[in-house]
Amino acid sequence: MGQNFYRYLFLFIILTPLNISSHNNEPHSIKGSSKADSMTQCVEPTEIMQKEHFVFLYHQRDNTVIDGIRTKQHSLANCIDCHVGYDEKGVAIPINSEGQFCQTCHVQTAVNIDCFSCHATVPRDKGMKRIKASDNNNHLSDKIKDITTYYHSNNYE
Amino acid sequence: MNKNNLTRRDFLIKSASLMTVVYIIPDLVSKTEAKPLDEKVSSKTKWAMNIDVDKCTKGCTACVEACIEENGLYGMDRPETDSQWIRKLTLKDIKTEKIVELPMLCQHCENPPCCDVCPTGASFRREDGIVMVNQHTCIGCRYCMMACPFKARSFVHENLTEQLTSAPRGKGCVESCNFCANRIDHGSDMTACEEACQKEGHKAITFGDLSNPKSRVNESLASKPSRRLRSDLKLKQRVTYSGI
Repeated sequence: MGQNFYRYLFLFIILTPLNISSHNNEPHSIKGSSKADSMTQCVEPTEIMQKEHFVFLYHQRDNTVIDGIRTKQHSLANCIDCHVGYDEKGVAIPINSEGQFCQTCHVQTAVNIDCFSCHATVPRDKGMKRIKASDNNNHLSDKIKDITTYYHSNNYE
Repeated sequence: MNKNNLTRRDFLIKSASLMTVVYIIPDLVSKTEAKPLDEKVSSKTKWAMNIDVDKCTKGCTACVEACIEENGLYGMDRPETDSQWIRKLTLKDIKTEKIVELPMLCQHCENPPCCDVCPTGASFRREDGIVMVNQHTCIGCRYCMMACPFKARSFVHENLTEQLTSAPRGKGCVESCNFCANRIDHGSDMTACEEACQKEGHKAITFGDLSNPKSRVNESLASKPSRRLRSDLKLKQRVTYSGI
């Protein structure tokens, strides 16, 4: 009896760390919550985008600032609008935060980008602090509603 | 055979009406169509602003608040260093002792001293006359702030969050009024401050295209004499003031 108790206690102590997640309080984006997840291709073929996206961005930024060209195709605002993920409450998660679209690759390739000291990290318009998914992602709002009700019915936060 | 039936009178009437349709009617209809998004700005458009000081009301800060909201200029509650693209000034004429309040913003000079002194070319004048800072190349030296006779520029001293998508801005760069360039490029012909001034019912600020004779700024310039501030500097500002 006593031996069994110590055995279980030992197992409990060994396995406890597995229960505790270090990311408990961070917002998790829902997989498939960004607009880009539901599309087949980016504004250019994927192989080109992976290698050349910054060339497009550099080119577009000069066109926009100096010549006032505001096309959406290669604009950073459009990248963010499409690639930003949403948490279960439908709130956009900053695209440069850990595990999000921009940061995932840039951490791996050790590229330190400085876009987001000035540019907004989530789609943010005048008069609103954070855009909710239901405001600009109509095709997603139902999905997110489903997930939210699922979370609530299971007493998750 | 039809050709033979065309009388001299018919020919004249038809050709005159055709000429009317092709040449005269398009000129009568005012051209309000905006520049397409993929087109470069050109010097055919000359953005300008006229401010009627007599209509500007004492104590009203609607334009300042509208600018803050439009560009997300939320500060740190430190008035000495917080950014302001437009501010209210009280001026007194030494000779007549007339006291006026007026909004002061970047005057969008045609000969901008800020661009003359910028070491990197970040301060520049767009083809359509808007003077602005290319924050990608601005190194934050603040020469332009010293060169500006109107104290129109601000420097961002602290890290910012919550910027708007339409108005990127950040620490280490100089910034100033850009005539709501983002709005204008998307087809508007009204800045946030003018909109606010009209909403308040004062109509002191009028903005528009100088090359369009029917623009609001041209109408207000025609109705009342206006002048540039510190015209002795010969900067040819695009912002003019009436009533001082």
